Amino acid sequence: MNLTFIDIKEFPKRMEEYRYSKGMDFLRDIIGMDWGEEGLGAIYILENTATGENIEVATITANREKPLIPTVCHLWNVAELYEREVYDFFGIYFTKHPDMRRLFLRNDWVGYPLRKDYDTSEAINPIRMENEVTEDVQRPYEIAEDAEQAIIDKQTNKIHGDQYIINIGPQHPATHGVLRFRLALDGEEIKKIDIHCGYIHRGIEKMSESLTYPQILALTDRLDYLSAHQNRHALCMCIEKAMGIEVTDRTQYIRTIMDELQRIDSHLLFLSCAAMDLGAITTFIYGFRDREKLLDILEEVTGGRLIQNYNVIGGVQADITPDFVRKVKEFCQYQKGKIKEYNDVFTYNVITQKRMKGVGVISRADAISYGCTGGTGRASGWACDVRKRHPYALYDKVDFKEIIYNNGDCYDRFWVRLDEILESIHIIEQLIDNIPEGEYKVKTKPIIRIPEGRYSASVEGSRGEFGVYIESRGEKSPYRIKFRPMGLPLIAAMHKILKGAKVADLIAIGATLDYVIPDIDR
Amino acid sequence: MFDFTTITTAIDQFLRSMMPAQFAIIVECILVAACALLAYVMFAIVMIFMERKVCAAFQCRLGPMRVGPWGLLQVFADVFKMLIKEIISINRSDSFLYRLAPYLVVMSSVLTFCCLPFAKGLQVLDFNMGVFFLMATSSFGVLGILLAGWSSNNKFSMIGAMRSGAQMISYELSIGLCMLTVVTLSGTMQISELVEQQHDAWFIFKGHLPAMLAFVIYLIAGNAETNRAPFDLPEAESELTAGFHTEYSGMHFGFFYVAEFMNLFIVAAIASTLFLGGWMPLHISGFDTFNMVMDYIPGIVWFLGKTFFIIWVLMWFRWTFPRLRIDQVPTLEWKYLVPIGLVNLLIMTVCVVMGWTF
Amino acid sequence: MKFRDTYIGKIFNGTRSLLTGLGVTLKEFFTKKVTEQYPENRKTLKISDRHRAMLYMPLDENGNNKCIACGLCQSACPNGTITVKTKTVTDEETGKSKKVLLEYTYDLGCCMFCQLCVNACPKDAIAFNNHFENAVFDRSKLVLKLNK
Repeated sequence: MNLTFIDIKEFPKRMEEYRYSKGMDFLRDIIGMDWGEEGLGAIYILENTATGENIEVATITANREKPLIPTVCHLWNVAELYEREVYDFFGIYFTKHPDMRRLFLRNDWVGYPLRKDYDTSEAINPIRMENEVTEDVQRPYEIAEDAEQAIIDKQTNKIHGDQYIINIGPQHPATHGVLRFRLALDGEEIKKIDIHCGYIHRGIEKMSESLTYPQILALTDRLDYLSAHQNRHALCMCIEKAMGIEVTDRTQYIRTIMDELQRIDSHLLFLSCAAMDLGAITTFIYGFRDREKLLDILEEVTGGRLIQNYNVIGGVQADITPDFVRKVKEFCQYQKGKIKEYNDVFTYNVITQKRMKGVGVISRADAISYGCTGGTGRASGWACDVRKRHPYALYDKVDFKEIIYNNGDCYDRFWVRLDEILESIHIIEQLIDNIPEGEYKVKTKPIIRIPEGRYSASVEGSRGEFGVYIESRGEKSPYRIKFRPMGLPLIAAMHKILKGAKVADLIAIGATLDYVIPDIDR
Repeated sequence: MFDFTTITTAIDQFLRSMMPAQFAIIVECILVAACALLAYVMFAIVMIFMERKVCAAFQCRLGPMRVGPWGLLQVFADVFKMLIKEIISINRSDSFLYRLAPYLVVMSSVLTFCCLPFAKGLQVLDFNMGVFFLMATSSFGVLGILLAGWSSNNKFSMIGAMRSGAQMISYELSIGLCMLTVVTLSGTMQISELVEQQHDAWFIFKGHLPAMLAFVIYLIAGNAETNRAPFDLPEAESELTAGFHTEYSGMHFGFFYVAEFMNLFIVAAIASTLFLGGWMPLHISGFDTFNMVMDYIPGIVWFLGKTFFIIWVLMWFRWTFPRLRIDQVPTLEWKYLVPIGLVNLLIMTVCVVMGWTF
Repeated sequence: MKFRDTYIGKIFNGTRSLLTGLGVTLKEFFTKKVTEQYPENRKTLKISDRHRAMLYMPLDENGNNKCIACGLCQSACPNGTITVKTKTVTDEETGKSKKVLLEYTYDLGCCMFCQLCVNACPKDAIAFNNHFENAVFDRSKLVLKLNK
């Protein structure tokens, strides 16, 4: 990875240049960094969606007491949440950011946990037994015009007490986990939305800094549990790239097939849950009935149904079972027929169409600006499939279509996933009969150390681009590891999508955005 | 056909011989109330079990299987659980209205339940404008739901109650129009008379096209009236958790639950009475032996058979369709059902005037 | 204006889509059900061999295990699930001292089933089995001693 450092004084100008003159319209990730003596900083990974050109830039500030970096959230909308995350973990204030609050941790949390000088003792942050007070007011920080770099507190109202406020979540049947939306309503219409994350934040990135690489692998399955294979694939790929390990063809075949099986699994769950959120409980059961068959296959090979533990550095955990090929073929055949059933009972239903068509529209430009990859981006006409953009494993060898729709509404988002199930089956069918003989795992050193440097890899997870960034100092554990969440950009776009929507639309939109909370919170 | 009035008259005379007439009437009222409530609860239990099994069958499942053989005792276990649960009180709720609401809902459905003709002569209330009374009693259940949502001091409940108010009051209209279509066809509002008139053919056959259309509209509107999917917006669990009864526990919740099922029974029973002949067996004029055989099946079996068939159809709807959105509910009513209902009523009137009915 | 966009056309199309849905559920109403009646089907229930339910130590017929008390599993575990207690004994014939296993404790309640311990073991002395019925009333019952 080639990292270009930009001086902080030139930073706003240079970023604007990248955005407008060089057409870097997709901000893939912002990675907060603590470089110790050199100071605190952030790495920005940018991409030009027209040419596929990638660039990594970073800026650094030596002031550890009041680190200030100019915001980029007017250039890329998704930066609004990314910067809040960096602020939460590193205490870097992004000046001119409209909403500089903590994103995952409690407001009364002391210190910034991903800084290297953070004190982890429980005396500083004891387990708090009282509820967190929701802040109705936000406090943006601004640099005063004088060069003193003083931070001025200015309070503005976002959602205030006399509105009709309801909480969707953290315990709510439609958020599929512990995400909390604070909604200000006017009748049934949503006026404002405020998103609170972090209810399942486990600090995986912080934990990883004291774990060995194989141990980190065990955590990736727990990020987005519906793309467990892809997550692990990404991390394995990144480590293998860094260590110069070549995996065998057999491994590549198995990994690609497993990734696609996992994608089908995830999309079946998506379809079922979307149906249930719209009230069609029977379709939910049909989807789960068929997913069960897939899970049985996965369990037989990997030993797990949700947490699969299959990819390891240099290969896979165990070879495929003898009747894996037969079972997968049977499943593919079976599943193709079932898609019609879902369509008949749910998709073509006039009520479903009325609920989904034209609801929750996100334009292509917005999808890119908010970094909504995966099915959501492709439903808006953005060809964002990593399998096509930066092919990995066997994706440059198999023949498959990138599913793209153009309306960007709930209905298209739904269809992208349905079509992708068929496309995944198509990929699997090309590979399943040709798995070459060979080793399923190459021998690696007992203790895995990554040479010093910065490495990144990304894969197409079940709901978007999943990226891994590792900065290594040659130790057994990484200096910094960052996972690009697939879900955070989706909920960042939420308030844009929700313009003029009703409470029931929020449910439909949430269902079709298909976020997984442990992936957002990490 | 066996006439239940022979039994009721016998009991009446027996009581009158034992005590003064006023006392006899009081005793009769108590007896009737006890029987009606017992029947009410029994039907509710049967229907809860039926719902769980039918729903399971539509979803490729077996449903409850562990309590008793085939899960037969499941509902009794549920009722027992509900009875021993604490009825919690809510902070800063309007406690009088909060407690009143479930009773209002149950009262409305019990009153309506009493108008149903289960068999020849087996009917508690029967007077010359029975259909009208039926509509009146069935529609004040919405008051209980509104109060429940308003008094629980919960914003979700409040939204649920408002949705339910908007929905139930508008669908009342379609139900009225459908009933009016039948009244136009028969020329009477007395329920026993309505059933008697179907002795040669059921109204759905007599009134052919307009009657069938009215039947379908009635089923849709009736489904909306009972707050069941696809019209379960007041309690849409993926949006409002449990809507208007979020804050209710124990038997108070049980009342809402039972009333919902009994409203379904009532809607189905009215549909079978108005369109499918109620307790009247299937008669085809001309086939006398066939009609004789049909007459051997008791009226109550006919009535319950038809009613439970319609309940099954409504459950079939419920477990197939997704939920509508709140603005689509009035759209369906005011832009589709009401105009079609009105035109249908006109057609029926023309048919009756021209004598185009069978 | 196409027929399907007219008022009547919308009604027809809508009704048709609803009836299609009803047809599907009606068909499923009569197909074989897929429910697995779990406690009743215990005898026929097949859990895949690779399923990771709990760690165990394969023992031979004399109750001996293959563990050499190297402690690699303990250091591989991210959660501190495994504790290996050892003692040093001197072999009487050769006079060399060697570590042997005294007690192998495994806390099932802490385990995240990542299989790193099994991968780390040089002698295949530990493995996962598929005995998944691990519910107990007391957390302390989840702390297991694997060697005899």
